[in-house]
Amino acid sequence: FRFKDSLAEELQSADLVISHAGAGSCLEALEKGKPLIVVINEKLMDNHQLELAKQLHRDGCVLYCNCSTLVETLQSMNLSALKPFPPGQPEKFASFLDKVLGLQ
Amino acid sequence: TGGHTTEVLRLLSCLSESYSPRHYVLADSDKMSEAKIRSFEQKRAETFSESQFSLDRIPRSREVRQSWISSVLTTLYSILYSLPLTYKRKPDLILCNGPGTCVPVCLSAFLLGLLQIKRTIIVYVESICRVETLSLSGKILYYFSDYFIVQWPDLKKKYPKSVYLGRIV
Repeated sequence: FRFKDSLAEELQSADLVISHAGAGSCLEALEKGKPLIVVINEKLMDNHQLELAKQLHRDGCVLYCNCSTLVETLQSMNLSALKPFPPGQPEKFASFLDKVLGLQ
Repeated sequence: TGGHTTEVLRLLSCLSESYSPRHYVLADSDKMSEAKIRSFEQKRAETFSESQFSLDRIPRSREVRQSWISSVLTTLYSILYSLPLTYKRKPDLILCNGPGTCVPVCLSAFLLGLLQIKRTIIVYVESICRVETLSLSGKILYYFSDYFIVQWPDLKKKYPKSVYLGRIV
């Protein structure tokens, strides 16, 4: 199970996702509209991975805790307060490039 | 590598047929990106008839947490290795989003520009993971890119020459 190529199926059928703060994991869960709890392990992690998790928490899109507060978080969580995560817009990038390259 | 590849392929997803042929440059140690790229190009070929692309590999410029001094040496080696590749492809546009691999390629293109051999437009998109600080590649290429795109407003404030389009992946 650990090294499956894609967790897309499991994600699709989940009601709640509990994940580490890796950007890929967080974004995949959020894009599928699943409520997400991000568990931080400050000792293991690269500071920069925290940046995205913190921002998502500030935006109200994820719940945030560390290993020792996970149980408490699960007991007191209010998932309906989580805000949806709007998808990124690569079309804006394409327009920008077309414009600066004179390809309109 | 992994996350970078996924992000860059999303960036490519809305580009028109004009952005062809596409030359992908990967680190020699990267095992996962090739499959993602081929899958992306295969899907693209279903919509666009002219789907030309190539894959090149260069030595990885820096391992995670490699020491400062040895990183300079391995990056120099990668730049030397990239020069003939960039010279051969003479790209009109280079698009990258931060893996160590992009630094030597961009610097070699910049050099070819200085030498008046080929003027390449360098577009750097910082990863969506970077909310408050730039990656090392970003800090370097901020000075060498033609367009430096960030995905969070804090970075736009700190790096005023950057372009902020919101989240684009």
